Amino acid sequence: MPRPERKTIQLTIDGREVQAAEGAMLVDAAKQGDIEIPYFCYEPKLGQPVGACRMCLVEVEGIPKLQTSCSTPVKDGMVVHTQTDRVRAAQNAIVEFLLVNHPLDCPVCDKGGECPLQDISFGWGLGRSRMIEPKRHFQKPLALSPLVAIDRERCILCYRCVRFSQEIAEDYQLIFAERGADTFVGTHDGHPYVAPFSGNIIELCPVGALTSQPYRFRARPWDIEDGAGICTLCPSQCNVTFTVRDERVLRVLARDHEGVDDGWLCDKGRFAYQAIHVDERITRPLVRDGGELREVSWERAIDAAAGLARHQGRVGTLVGGQASNEEGFLLGRLAREGLASADIDSRAGGAHGWAGPVSADLARALAAPELQASVPDIEFAHTVLLLGCDPRDDAPILDLRIRKGVRRHGVKLAIASARPTALEANATLSVRYAPGDDGRFAAALARALDGADDVGEEIAALASLLRDGGEDVVILYGERLGAGAAALLRIADGLGIAGRDGAGLIGLPGGANGRGLREAGAVPDAGPGYTTLATAGRSTAQIGAAAAAGEITALHLFGTDPVRDQPDRALWERALHSVALVVAHAAVLTEGLAEHATVIFPAESHAEKEGTVVHPDGRLQRLRIAIAHPGEVRPSWAVLAEIARRCGLDTGVTRAHDAFAQLVAAVPAYAGLTLEEIGGRGVRWPERAQAASISGGDVTLVGVPAGEPAPSAQNGSLRLGTYRPIWAAPECEVSPALKFLIPQQQLELSPEDAQRLGIAHGSEVIVSSNGHRLTATAAVRTGVPAGSAFLADGLAAESANALTESLVEVVKV
Amino acid sequence: MKKLLFDRIDEPGLNTLDVYERRGGYQSLRTALGMSREDVLSQLMDSGIRGRGGAGFQMGRKVSFLPQGDMAKYLVCNADESEPGTFKDRELMQKSPHMLVEGIVIAAYAGGISRSFIYIRGEYQLQADILEAAIAEAADAGYIGEDILGSGLSMSLVLHRGAGAYICGEETGLLDSLEGKRGNPRLKPPFPAIEGLYAGPTLINNVETLATVPHIIRMGGAEYAKIGTETSTGTKLVSISGDVKRPGNYEIELGIPSREIVYGLAGGPPSGRDVKFWFPGGSSSPVLTKDDLDLPYDFDSLAKAGSMLGSGAIIIADESRRVLDTALKLAKFYAHESCGKCVPCREGTNWTHKMLQRITTGEATPMDLDIMASVQTQIIGNCLCVLGDAMAMPIGSMVVKFRAELESEIEAARARSGGADVEDVVALGVADEHAGPLPVH
Repeated sequence: MPRPERKTIQLTIDGREVQAAEGAMLVDAAKQGDIEIPYFCYEPKLGQPVGACRMCLVEVEGIPKLQTSCSTPVKDGMVVHTQTDRVRAAQNAIVEFLLVNHPLDCPVCDKGGECPLQDISFGWGLGRSRMIEPKRHFQKPLALSPLVAIDRERCILCYRCVRFSQEIAEDYQLIFAERGADTFVGTHDGHPYVAPFSGNIIELCPVGALTSQPYRFRARPWDIEDGAGICTLCPSQCNVTFTVRDERVLRVLARDHEGVDDGWLCDKGRFAYQAIHVDERITRPLVRDGGELREVSWERAIDAAAGLARHQGRVGTLVGGQASNEEGFLLGRLAREGLASADIDSRAGGAHGWAGPVSADLARALAAPELQASVPDIEFAHTVLLLGCDPRDDAPILDLRIRKGVRRHGVKLAIASARPTALEANATLSVRYAPGDDGRFAAALARALDGADDVGEEIAALASLLRDGGEDVVILYGERLGAGAAALLRIADGLGIAGRDGAGLIGLPGGANGRGLREAGAVPDAGPGYTTLATAGRSTAQIGAAAAAGEITALHLFGTDPVRDQPDRALWERALHSVALVVAHAAVLTEGLAEHATVIFPAESHAEKEGTVVHPDGRLQRLRIAIAHPGEVRPSWAVLAEIARRCGLDTGVTRAHDAFAQLVAAVPAYAGLTLEEIGGRGVRWPERAQAASISGGDVTLVGVPAGEPAPSAQNGSLRLGTYRPIWAAPECEVSPALKFLIPQQQLELSPEDAQRLGIAHGSEVIVSSNGHRLTATAAVRTGVPAGSAFLADGLAAESANALTESLVEVVKV
Repeated sequence: MKKLLFDRIDEPGLNTLDVYERRGGYQSLRTALGMSREDVLSQLMDSGIRGRGGAGFQMGRKVSFLPQGDMAKYLVCNADESEPGTFKDRELMQKSPHMLVEGIVIAAYAGGISRSFIYIRGEYQLQADILEAAIAEAADAGYIGEDILGSGLSMSLVLHRGAGAYICGEETGLLDSLEGKRGNPRLKPPFPAIEGLYAGPTLINNVETLATVPHIIRMGGAEYAKIGTETSTGTKLVSISGDVKRPGNYEIELGIPSREIVYGLAGGPPSGRDVKFWFPGGSSSPVLTKDDLDLPYDFDSLAKAGSMLGSGAIIIADESRRVLDTALKLAKFYAHESCGKCVPCREGTNWTHKMLQRITTGEATPMDLDIMASVQTQIIGNCLCVLGDAMAMPIGSMVVKFRAELESEIEAARARSGGADVEDVVALGVADEHAGPLPVH
């Protein structure tokens, strides 16, 4: 539904004239007049107010009883008093009641010093209690989950955590048990609360009842400093605040940005900061010497990396998704100008049946400003279509945004994917296609919107939902579409999306800064700003093949290990084995680098880095330095500039923002941007006038490459699809708190196939194709269509990229 | 005295459709269906009938609040009857279930409602069985279902049994429970008439109120309004219990002197003792004393005397009773039944209960009565629903009206326990039954 327009009204609070939007809650309107009304349970992010804590009672003229200001919408001419004796008496009473059962253990409580109950007790309480009875007791603290500790004695039953679980994350795990003063927060049957967004309840808790297990007793509020930053662990790019003590990140909190994250974080973003300070972290340069990687001086490592210059024209460069725009830009300059090699890519190769990478022309057309949707558009659209993506894994925080839209604004959700997503229960319409058919499905949908009637019932139904369900359609599409994304241009055309406020496309790249890296020119066929290159280089998959074939003789791997990150593990092992020089930048050692890297430079974490990234909706965001570099880690821009210099290229980059200045000069749509302008909230470049420099006008809308149709399942084989679980990341593997979440390989298959093959849920299976095999645990999932099966990518062991064919055999062990 | 609901209530077989129809049952429904909706509604308005569940809100106005239009609207009959001392709906449903069914169909017609529910308390197994049978009979006879009596009105009626919580008698708590959620009251506004069951407009009325509807239609609203007083029209079922010779349900005309009910109908306390205090409208009404027995028994007179008519449940305590016992029992009940959602009720009932317990163990001082009185005023009017007030009003009234007695209880208990220091007596008990599965290191 389109955003409602609210007119401004005037009311009087404590004698002050206050302007507020009609329908706003009194407690929020009061803030406009600099009047603070205390509250605990109210949190607009959680939906409708519940009025449970009664802390926000105020007097409204004309209403005999005191009213909860959290649930009283303002009206024109309303007269409100928040300071009368009656209100004060009620506030004193509520504080006294709250402390009836709340232990006064503030000196040993993690929340002490940043506790709303503490603040409100001092500010609005009487400062004494008349209660001498014993308080209620629980065994404490208990692990609500390995990440969250619960102290039920401190709980004031404000409903926030339970509402989060029930209405925001919709994992329905947290509940209230018992009643009255015996009420306590728990889970069904005492199961641990394990869910992708569970950590948010820690931040929501207004007392010390829910505390972070990794942060417990690590610092007090007066020991710490805040550092604003961006989480670059996935494309959601949530705005975060790093809690820093003695140059160590001890905690990550949300830095509420309505245009990005709505104030939520996933547990990876919240807890994987631990990876910054673990022994596994590479903090000194490594060079292979006598077959072993040894710590060496920076001089020696740079010397070794300068060997790239001897491979002019034969260097392949892969850029990992967490690289900043500036790093991608410098890598592009180094490759093209310093090493005469246009073989640079930041995109993952596709798996089986893939339509091939997006061409420069298509990328430019898809980036056209008139086609861009913003994140808040998801919430207010008539219809949201997920095409070949599952936000839960691909950009978790958007999963919550979609739930919000469906629950609160009546957004109709349509899902088209091979693998059932986490949002199936919220969908108006859900369509499954065979793994690898993303591009072909998109093409068929485009044809259906053009009027074709031979597309089958499901696609026709989807087309009519998109066409007739309201004009504001937002399409989120995954990188699996590859070149098949061309169909999106026709779909957008058919739906009249271009230029329509509230409608548009959002591409979810595989890498956290996938969009920024493309715009910075870290792709083989386009320079910065999607400019056309005279000669195009090779794409990721082609680089792998060329390296294995000896045409490429050196690899520069920035923040990526292709053995882990790319399809066809065997190919990349051959490639890495074949080349003479592998220069890598990494924070932790992964298998491909441990085995094959010649030089490894320690990489910066997102808390140490300076630079910019681009959100999938086009928002440029700024990374700031929150902590000093640990060990001998150096800024990557400096390392890249030095390697370039030794390869004969003077980049002119001597300070971090030199790289930014060069990037801004090179990308027309960024022209004139300053770091100050980006600031802490970011700038959506598609909204800038300079965005007109990118136009999709010159792309023909006709040819939609569909790729080879995947063979259909036969003789008991299954069509294999892959996905990258949210937890499949080196950062999770080395973060002690997240180790329990590291996924083990499991084969998802349909109940029909499981029955046919005699495979029980939870049993061990061997999946094989063309001589390659891996073992997995069978997971029978009702949403999986018969004939399809899914394996996880990006795992340290038994990862799906061991298999190369689209048809696999499955046998019980 | 004129009887409507209890007119020949004990006639054998009245719970069957045969007998009920023979006595003219479902004629009011036919009459109503022959009238326009607006006319039925104006009869209800004219009758002036006020809700019999406790709040005493005018039923006709409640129906008129329902929005017009084509949306799904609901009628919910509140048969949770959980207020201590109240047992009138039980008898009514058990003996004359069709009267309720007929009332529901007429009310649904007036409100343009097509889906109705009866939410009956879980303990009323027998009554639930009888109602189920009556609903089945009525459906077979075409009084419920599609196109009722050829009028074009369609209405389903579903009986739902509660699981035993006082709070589910509160209308919004009931709605949550009916929706399958934990029975917690909701914030009002929105009121159920605007956004109730499944977020649709919902008319919620007590059993007795709905059962009166056929009589209003039969007599005409204006005629019905002649019974009782100007602002408390009609007859009322009164459940009287406690220290009386003839406890039970009586149908009275509103406005008669309370003494006539307590002494005339129920026979007064046994063995000639005097009334010490009495609850005029269920355990949540502030207590009155024997000096108040001449009050007219109607909504406004009782409200003016600082109490309320509530559900019409009169509980009598004679001179042999200790106020402390009653207060403790009440506080324990309400602390146990508080849903725990809002702070003043959850903590206030729990604290009050603990303070009263302290009196019995000799750990209190007269100063605690001041605290207790102040805690009650801190609860009243500050809660999400009226459960907190339901304890605070009677306890508060007891502390005020029987302070001297409570003080002497305090002194006596202190003497019994040797006047020990509070700190020596209060033990910290650790409740470990709520321990979860994963200890933290």
